[in-house]
Amino acid sequence: MRPFTYTRAKDATSASKLLTGNPNAKFLAGGTNLLDLMKEDVERPSTLIDISELGLSDIKTISSGTNKGGISIGGLGKNTDAANHPLIRQNYPLLTQAILAGASGQIRNMATNGGNLLQRTRCPYFYEVAMPCNKREPGTGCGAKEGINRMHAIFGWSEKCVAVYPSDMAIALAALDAVVNVRNASGQERSISMADFHRLPGDQPEKDTILTHGELITSIELPRNNFADKSYYVKVRDRASYAFALVSVAAALETSGNKIVQARIAMGGVAHKPWRALKAEQLLVGKEATEANFKLAASAEMADAKPLEHNAFKVELGNRSIVLALQMAMNGGKA
Amino acid sequence: MKEKDKVVGTPISRIDGIAKVTGKAPYSMDHPVKNPAYAILFKSTIAAGTIQDINTAAAEKAPGVLAVITHKNVLKLNVKGGLRGGALLQSPEVDFFGQNIGIVVAETFEQARYASRLVSVTYDKKEPKVNFDKVADQARLPKDKEKADAERGDAKAALSQATIKVEEVYETPIEHHHPLEPHAAIAEWDGDKVTLYSSAQIVNGAQSAAAATLNLKPEQVRIVSPYIGGGFGSKGGQWANLALTAVAAKQVNRPVKLALTRQQMVNSVGMRQHNRQKISLAATADGKLTALAHEIVTHCAINDEFVEPCGDCSKIMYETPNSLITYRVVPMNLILPTYTRGPGKSTGSFALESAMDELAYKLKMDPIELRIKNEPERDPSNGKPWSSRTTVQCLREGAKAFGWDKRKPEPRQNSQGNYWIGYGVSAGTYPAHQRPTSALVKLKRTGDNVTATVELAAADLGTGTYTILTQTAADALGLSIQQINMKIGDSDLPPAAGAVGSVGAASYANAVNDACQKITDELVAKSGKQFFARPTAAQLMRSEKLTEYQTRVDSKAPESAEEYSAHSFNANFAEVAVNKSTGMIRVNRFLAVTGAGQILNPKTARSQIIGGNVWGIGMALTEESVVDPRWGNFVTRSFADYHVPSNLDIGNLDAIFINEKDEHVNSLGVKGIGEVGIVAVAAAVANAVFNATGKRVRDLPITPDKVL
Ligand SMILES: Cc1cc2nc3c(=O)[nH]c(=O)nc-3n(C[C@H](O)[C@H](O)[C@H](O)COP(=O)(O)OP(=O)(O)OC[C@H]3O[C@@H](n4cnc5c(N)ncnc54)[C@H](O)[C@@H]3O)c2cc1C
Repeated sequence: MRPFTYTRAKDATSASKLLTGNPNAKFLAGGTNLLDLMKEDVERPSTLIDISELGLSDIKTISSGTNKGGISIGGLGKNTDAANHPLIRQNYPLLTQAILAGASGQIRNMATNGGNLLQRTRCPYFYEVAMPCNKREPGTGCGAKEGINRMHAIFGWSEKCVAVYPSDMAIALAALDAVVNVRNASGQERSISMADFHRLPGDQPEKDTILTHGELITSIELPRNNFADKSYYVKVRDRASYAFALVSVAAALETSGNKIVQARIAMGGVAHKPWRALKAEQLLVGKEATEANFKLAASAEMADAKPLEHNAFKVELGNRSIVLALQMAMNGGKA
Repeated sequence: MKEKDKVVGTPISRIDGIAKVTGKAPYSMDHPVKNPAYAILFKSTIAAGTIQDINTAAAEKAPGVLAVITHKNVLKLNVKGGLRGGALLQSPEVDFFGQNIGIVVAETFEQARYASRLVSVTYDKKEPKVNFDKVADQARLPKDKEKADAERGDAKAALSQATIKVEEVYETPIEHHHPLEPHAAIAEWDGDKVTLYSSAQIVNGAQSAAAATLNLKPEQVRIVSPYIGGGFGSKGGQWANLALTAVAAKQVNRPVKLALTRQQMVNSVGMRQHNRQKISLAATADGKLTALAHEIVTHCAINDEFVEPCGDCSKIMYETPNSLITYRVVPMNLILPTYTRGPGKSTGSFALESAMDELAYKLKMDPIELRIKNEPERDPSNGKPWSSRTTVQCLREGAKAFGWDKRKPEPRQNSQGNYWIGYGVSAGTYPAHQRPTSALVKLKRTGDNVTATVELAAADLGTGTYTILTQTAADALGLSIQQINMKIGDSDLPPAAGAVGSVGAASYANAVNDACQKITDELVAKSGKQFFARPTAAQLMRSEKLTEYQTRVDSKAPESAEEYSAHSFNANFAEVAVNKSTGMIRVNRFLAVTGAGQILNPKTARSQIIGGNVWGIGMALTEESVVDPRWGNFVTRSFADYHVPSNLDIGNLDAIFINEKDEHVNSLGVKGIGEVGIVAVAAAVANAVFNATGKRVRDLPITPDKVL
């Protein structure tokens, strides 16, 4: 670990100011991702601004604005608390499932909601500094594209980067059309939809999100919806717990009789950002909720996949996982 | 002593348990030394070539740095001293990715690690051999004579004439031991003597290898290893880090602590090699094996050879007139492979026992019946009688306990909701040996209270050695376990075998028992009395009013043991549930039935067996160390990427021991249990996956993508 200075911020604005003044400074929340990366010399901040004591951890009903009636989750709240809060369990069980499908109990107790959104890829070439990686060190090349890429992207990758984004929580948030609220050093706030928050790698894989340096995630808003009793998170992984997704699917349906009124599908483990399966969603709206229609929608979405040498299985797995998630959602999450 | 008071064979909890959970048991890095400095290794970032230049100037100037040691300024060491894997900084040559190329010593661990990042290295690179598929055809006969072609009858001819046969290739990937306690050592010099606090499965082996490497006499090196946080073979032979810690301490003239990071474990302390195994079986229509060929291709290090004995189970498990076992090995730019839990037997049995299952399916025979049908009277490899063999009993008792009769012979017949359920069986074996071990018993009496200190340089990997030896000594001396002080894990104590290859319990317990019997004999003789019933040493200390008495034995296996073929045997039963949509596999139930002679402590024995089972399930489903085929680095370097099974992957684990009395193996009738617990486990799981889904996966681990 490189030497660094450590400052504990007193409030959100001063935290952002401290950061903005120093291009090599970083916020420290739960530290479960950042500290690991520092130990491996991947992240090299010269200053850590500890934001873990800023508060910003409330979970409450939104009383005004576009998302009135929805729920707001503090950016510095812990993953465990978000997953288990009664307002979330009742209204957004999809989010509870997704959070609890990630990491381990101990890590979720430390991990914050903002930190979770900003966790970095698990690509092994990103993690080992002796390897080329455009995300870690732009211009060095992509080690994974012609290398071991079983875990990597099948959608939206570029010549520069084939990494996938690892969060489970964010996949549910994407399906639920969440909005991320951020604040910068001058106290300006902006709201970013989950769809826009993370980027595809393109020519700048070093940029995971559209955040600018110094912006602090203050809260995440979940708009009201009618998905609570028909949603499900499928996570396929190499072991039942404590592994990142090979493919995951967050699915939510609103039905009238057996007819689908609204559908939301987001996928994890397949792209550099939560992958909204918009094609599949569109195909489902207005249709009967049948296995045949689920299969049509899934294969329409997966038809666009571009697998790499070692991850062609993700196409078939994506197909099956979408169908399974939709079926489970229709069953109210029961097998 | 009355039978009911005996503690051997009772399930007492580990006597070191409380010290461990309260943090009082010192592991390698915990021993207090005065004013230690901290060292870290740094490693090559190429797999083959020569270091052209190594610039340490910036690292030397970094805060807290005491020394940067590379091949340019390291002490001269004996590379043939017996430490495994080379990487002793004695030359600029690089043979594998992540080879040690230097050490930074600093006031703190963080300073050392930071400074190690400041070293810059330029290399003359060579094209590395790191892709097994590309070089497998260059494999040659191993130098190790044990791996010469072994043939009985003419297996190839029998196979070419057979109509019913199975000929398949089975692959097991590279695995790492990854004990929770990474390899670490503290070195403290006192003049020309050095004490090394470091986990060692073979205390005396570590001592002699470290001494020879450091150009010292064994008595100049002391190994202190009271507790070991797991080893699984990686702490059997010792590796460069042990000597390099001593070198660092010498060069900075201070005690030095050097621990490997988890990421460094993948290229510092060996691994299990990738094995490509072809099994060919031929049988008559009623299931008699007419030929068994097991042909193994694997890899070793560029300059050193180690080949797992994958053919061992095939040698002795089944009767067949025609048998062939061959090994071929190709050197690669990867770290030297080494013994890994159930060496050869765990991997070889995956191939053999999968093939037996395939044959049973072909023959429409129950796989248990097929195995029993080919049960050998004597050891087929050498014609010796078995000291005892429990395969049939293990299979029969296991089948009953597991509910094998509920298995559907055809795959995809057992569906529960979105899951296919499948049952699998396998059988395995591991040799039983007693190795020379000495033990010293010291008795002391104060008033009526007699206590004993028992000393031997044995190792406790965390498996219960302290406990079973205390039990053994208590019964043999007529004392309670509280009156025994068991001292092990120190090369200053009488020399002992290693806790390797399942020889620990047999070697140590027999030595302790022999010492206790000897001291009793001596006390009887000393008393000059005749006794109607043999008194205990404790009674004699009191009756003869002795305050102190001690004796030592050098114990070894009875000579008659050589006349028998002695092995532990097991049968494994697995029930898996495979998700029809995702291919994710859960082991709902696993049962291991083991015949391992006298079980000294059913509780620690059970833990050993189910621990081995979890290892085997990991081998079957999750564990794989993946090498980048271009650069030779492992891409799975932490527990986030190297998957061992989690609690959710496994339901109920159960262990049954056959009540067996082996009269020939050694005087206590103890066989090993450390290794046999993993043997053939992967095959039972893979066979269950086939029974569930109809997919025969011959390439471990069976990840979801392979059963879609
Ligand atoms: C072994 C392991 C397994 C895991 N498995 C999973 C898994 O299966 N699924 C999964 O989803 N996750 C998994 N995780 C990741 C875990 O969820 C993240 O590490 C965690 O959510 C990060 O949160 P944190 O608060 O600790 O972030 P930190 O490590 O403190 O920060 C992460 C990044 O976010 C920035 N940051 C933090 N908070 C803010 C904020 N409010 N505003 C702006 N920037 C901020 C930091 O500067 C840093 O760059 C795993 C982690 C580990 C170590």
